[in-house]
Amino acid sequence: MQKNKLIAPEGTRDILFEDCAARRRVEEKIKALFVSRGFTEVITPGIEFYDVFSSETHGLPQETMYKLVDSKGRLLALKPDLTMPIARLAATRLRDQVRPLRLFYDQNIYTITPALTGRSHEIPQIGVEIIGAGGRRADLEVLVLALETLQSCGLDDFRLEIGHIGFFNTLIRKLNLDEEQSEEIRTLIQTKNYPALNDMLDRMEDKKTAASLKQLPALFGGEEVLDEAAAALDCPELAPYLDALRGLYQALSGLGLGERVSLDLGIVNRTGYYTGIVFKGYIQGLGATALQGGRYDTLLADYGQDEPAVGFSLNVDAVAKVLLPAQPKTPAPDVLVFAEEGYEVKALLEIRKLASHGFCAEFSPFETFEQSRLYAVKRGIPVVYVVNEDLMEVRV
Amino acid sequence: MKPIRIALTKGRLEESTIRLFEKLGYDCSQLRNKGRRLILEVPDANLEIVLAKAADVITYVEHGACDMGVVGKDTILEYGGSFFEVVDLGFGKCRFALAVKKGTDFYAGYQVKTIATKYPGVAREFFAGKGMDVEIIKIEGSVELAPLLGLSDGIVDIVETGATLRENGLEVTENIISLSARLIVNAASLKLRKKELEAVISAIKTAI
Repeated sequence: MQKNKLIAPEGTRDILFEDCAARRRVEEKIKALFVSRGFTEVITPGIEFYDVFSSETHGLPQETMYKLVDSKGRLLALKPDLTMPIARLAATRLRDQVRPLRLFYDQNIYTITPALTGRSHEIPQIGVEIIGAGGRRADLEVLVLALETLQSCGLDDFRLEIGHIGFFNTLIRKLNLDEEQSEEIRTLIQTKNYPALNDMLDRMEDKKTAASLKQLPALFGGEEVLDEAAAALDCPELAPYLDALRGLYQALSGLGLGERVSLDLGIVNRTGYYTGIVFKGYIQGLGATALQGGRYDTLLADYGQDEPAVGFSLNVDAVAKVLLPAQPKTPAPDVLVFAEEGYEVKALLEIRKLASHGFCAEFSPFETFEQSRLYAVKRGIPVVYVVNEDLMEVRV
Repeated sequence: MKPIRIALTKGRLEESTIRLFEKLGYDCSQLRNKGRRLILEVPDANLEIVLAKAADVITYVEHGACDMGVVGKDTILEYGGSFFEVVDLGFGKCRFALAVKKGTDFYAGYQVKTIATKYPGVAREFFAGKGMDVEIIKIEGSVELAPLLGLSDGIVDIVETGATLRENGLEVTENIISLSARLIVNAASLKLRKKELEAVISAIKTAI
């Protein structure tokens, strides 16, 4: 259709001026933070083989992926996720590098969402992955980094919410359900749909486990949640997860981050690759999750290298949107430099000199001074330099 | 402090919701005499009420423009979305059902059946669950007309008492799912304003 050449595809947009500046500022601050903690940037291709994202155990729903076909008829996907390509990279080209690998990325992902919901299909994500380090210390490092990431953007009010997939996985295993039923219960817990969850679990034979599962979505809040959980969840196998969360919570409080952290034992992400801690970051003024992460100790095995990993990603656009009102307007240049016939080189040298002194100078492409002056007025440039034998400064 | 913003579904569920709020002791005078205003205040409770069409309630809550909403399960099933569905409010009870012209056997024969509905998502899901291909036609108004005019073999629609169906010579072949009004909550709001929102939620839970 002819008119399509005038507009951007659904779910995408042109990003202009202040929006651009806000996004870049967020990226720069976060990148500097990542670099200061020993992380190195990698860029994976924008398109990957579809197979990277379609593994039997950890695959993403195919209807959410933009797909292409290469010259040999093979299926490709516009990257819907950044962790999976990095897992592929770590398990192949970086197989022999010293562990742990500390990698970070700053790239777009593409995902198809239902039409007309106002959701972006192109999402800039920045994030880290620590590959080849299991256990509590790496978990703590990543959580601290996630909090510092949100902090470094200059947000006033944010919260990092931590859970552990072990609670759900342990309990659901005890119920011995088929995959479909497990998935239904998972969804009900994720959406805190108490009425339907209770209905469904009332039909289960293992009353004790069902009672514990019913509690999961309600167990969120501060440190007190762990005591509530210890009392409410009648299942000794869960004790290690409670201890793990308590340890992490106390360590974060020790760093003065306690009030930024809350717990939710009902976090059961759809992205099926998480195996340990899971966490989400929320920002005041944004209705959706801004940051998302967790431990995924089985994902790399899909790519032929069985090793633990943990990481998170942040939606740069979401943060930039919240920070945008505070973003100063892009200022007009300080000077417009107009060269009279034959003095263009001198004018360009003058611009170089001005720039070296920290000024922003624009070169006038107009033939006459009057045109240059009019342009400066419209553009809000306060001064025009006229370059000939001499140099004359005109205030407009 | 920023008020808690609640989106209510206009129409069928409106009266029951206002009655629920009155039971909670909220001053609903603005809601009762709303005139043409779209955003209404509940004095002394730090609440703002927005009246919206059912599907829009979900949209406002999902995007965080409203912290909570009251909406029918029918709309939730049709439109989906990511939010917390925390309380079954118990009013607005009805069901989704498959109805056909009285005396016809919907499942007879091997031809692809045509279904008229206001809820194409729900209808598709229902027949996909049966492994059945059907042709779905979206209708905006009275769906009962479609089988009478020969446009479809059956309809998937909300049934309350079944009176409309009976009067038009249709009958329920199969109940699909029971429905009622639900309290939904934006995920980020529940996490960032836990205390305030939980106070409202638990008050509602005790009142129903």
